[in-house]
Amino acid sequence: MLAEGALAAGCRFFAGYPITPASEIYEVMIRELPAHNGLALSAPDEISSLCYCVGASLRGLKAMTATSGPGWALMIETVQYAMMTEMPVVIALVQRLGPSTGGATQGAQGDIWLAEFSTSGGYTVPVFSPCNAAECYELVQHAFNWSERLRTPVVVLSDKEVGMTTEVVDAAALVRPPIVERSGITGRGPFAPYAFEKPEEVPAFAAVGGDVKVTVTGSAHDQQGRLRKNAPEVIEVLLHLQRKIDAHAEEMALVRPALDPDAHCLLISYGVTARAARQAVAMLRRDGLPVSFLQIQTLFPIPRRTLDWALAGVETVFVAEENLTGQYRAVLAPHLKGKRVLGINKIGSLISPGEIVHALRGARA
Amino acid sequence: MMAEYSYLSPDAKLPYCRGCGHALVVRHLSRALEHLGLPPRSVVLTTDIGCVGLADSLFPYVHTVHTTHGRSTAFATGMALAEPVLKSKGLKPVVLIGDGGAMIGLLHLVHAAQLNVDITVLVHNNFLFGMTGGQHSAFTPLNWVTATTPDGNWTPPLDLLALLRTAHAGFLARQYATDTDLHTVIADAIDFPGFALVEVLELCTAYGTRWNQVTGNSLAEVINRQRYWIGQMEAELERPTFLQLYRHELESRPRSKPEEPEVPPLAAKAQPAEELHLVVAGSAGERVQSAASLFCRAALAAGLYTTQKNDNPVTQGTGFSLAEVCLSPQPIEYTGMESPEVVLAVSQEGWKELEANGTLARCRAETLLILDSELEGSPPAGRVLRFPLRREATPKRAALAGLAAWLTGAFILPSGVWDAGLTSLSGDRRTDAAEAIRIGQQLAERGGARVS
Repeated sequence: MLAEGALAAGCRFFAGYPITPASEIYEVMIRELPAHNGLALSAPDEISSLCYCVGASLRGLKAMTATSGPGWALMIETVQYAMMTEMPVVIALVQRLGPSTGGATQGAQGDIWLAEFSTSGGYTVPVFSPCNAAECYELVQHAFNWSERLRTPVVVLSDKEVGMTTEVVDAAALVRPPIVERSGITGRGPFAPYAFEKPEEVPAFAAVGGDVKVTVTGSAHDQQGRLRKNAPEVIEVLLHLQRKIDAHAEEMALVRPALDPDAHCLLISYGVTARAARQAVAMLRRDGLPVSFLQIQTLFPIPRRTLDWALAGVETVFVAEENLTGQYRAVLAPHLKGKRVLGINKIGSLISPGEIVHALRGARA
Repeated sequence: MMAEYSYLSPDAKLPYCRGCGHALVVRHLSRALEHLGLPPRSVVLTTDIGCVGLADSLFPYVHTVHTTHGRSTAFATGMALAEPVLKSKGLKPVVLIGDGGAMIGLLHLVHAAQLNVDITVLVHNNFLFGMTGGQHSAFTPLNWVTATTPDGNWTPPLDLLALLRTAHAGFLARQYATDTDLHTVIADAIDFPGFALVEVLELCTAYGTRWNQVTGNSLAEVINRQRYWIGQMEAELERPTFLQLYRHELESRPRSKPEEPEVPPLAAKAQPAEELHLVVAGSAGERVQSAASLFCRAALAAGLYTTQKNDNPVTQGTGFSLAEVCLSPQPIEYTGMESPEVVLAVSQEGWKELEANGTLARCRAETLLILDSELEGSPPAGRVLRFPLRREATPKRAALAGLAAWLTGAFILPSGVWDAGLTSLSGDRRTDAAEAIRIGQQLAERGGARVS
């Protein structure tokens, strides 16, 4: 469904390298993309996969690759290049159990930090996290839209349990957001490849091979794309890379809230664990226990406004996620000041609704 | 407009050290582009990290992409791969890369050669890393002193041309930067419709000539000792290009995928009011997971939501094969199973895995276990029905026969679901599956199950 969503978003280029549990996306794209006037091919490693995608993006094509933790580790250099050169590209990161080769066929939500904090300088990488097949279809379209609109790499972070579970999908209920295209240059005036007036603006795109000369570089540069050292213009461009994301953070925020005004307890989850969490909330409510629930689909930038809204009247916050150290909980912590913050964590298998219910009941006692 | 065709102005101030071969290469490249008369916007210089990466600003009219170390070839390949999608008239990516970049990005060169994408690579081989302080590379000659081989290099240098010839490169040449006809070789390379690489031999005056007894004139002796081929190498000039192969591939491919026949919804609806969890276990190659998949399609026809998760050892074709299925009248949230209501095991390997992964330990008194009669072992809890599935239906049909036997007695899905599910199969698979289902139903109706 992720591949189907990418096609619906207008993806025209895919390069992949086999890795469980992301190989199905690769296979579907190889099979389907030519019929959608696109090109999909096999790369000799993950570094090449993403470089090919960025190369295609330089020509103006919407491009995607799919991988898992070990492949993502190899791609980080090129993710940073795409960020610095402001080239849109989407990476479907289907998590598996780490570290290292880890467990290829075991699910996990252990790559939250790896996905987000992978750039030198700590610039925000937008990360969308689907919990099921239908959300894969929807969120990858948002990922393409934001990648094209902000000219930046975007990650769709799922895991083995979301990516490799066959499930019934209601085709009529699938969400198809309007498709966004990269904004191109207008007129034939002088062109600066990284031009902006206000730092949050996104430079107009001109394709390599087009009529306007394009200068692209992954090194620190000014708005003309010229390498400069210690120039204030360079610092301006670097600030702009973060500002353009920050300025759209609230617009990018996607959440599925199920709040109860009487609840003092808020359960937060994302990805596959959000499914167990939603079931746990239904069980608790059946028993007459008020609890609020927030499924976060846009992990980064953190949907702060929605979070603040959901926190009203809440004393205790639970964050349920399938990793050892509470990666997203740690990221949310600065935004949860004054609340009691508890984690529901596990590795090796899915967190069950029963375990979440148990944790929430235990904390009330 | 003439100015635009002067790729490099004759009085351009070049940023290289005195005597560096890079200056010669950019001048020859400029002459080659002028000779070919290519419109500047049809050329993209893709530069690598190192002193070669200083060339971008020298060419004010062509597109320039300054990349990461060693990856310049891969980015250029990506740009070239976009050609058939864009139906472009032909972009000419020219990669400027050093010997260090060729080393770290060797696989990118190999794959570009294999694909035969229309890019030209100019490898500036000065036998060491210049910009970072004269460290040795995979191309440093034997006994050369560098910052990292202070006693002389003892690893034999790579022969890039020989290596890329085995990757089916279309155009390969090796020249000295001092060759007066270098521009004609570069022009031939750019003009070549496919992967072309020119290795340009030159000296780094900052480190190469400082630490080694070598001059422009004596470099040839070093090269001869290495038995490097000089000039254009006999390569696979006649190979079809990526573009030609891709067009051929597209033409020979069916226009669109064959549509999977839809599973017709049944008027009669399924019975279970709550979620039901089922585990099917057997051996690899015995159609365990495809039987579960067919069952899910049948359940879908009866209006149920289903999820299916498969498991097998890392080797796909041996050992156990497992499928976990959830059925529910509502959309399914949690796809794990704390305790399955039904377990079907059709082989000893499958049974062992159920023991190993804790499924059997989680069986309760009300769990129904449908086991092949030949299977040894009994669960700690649960009701057991045994059918001679493997013997009567064959091992490859045992899983589906077991599911059919269970449904015959369970009445949770309306009659006709199997027919609805079978519409998703065609030909022999359909006949075969129908036979498995028939045998399973017969076994259940015969009442021959041994209850233990």
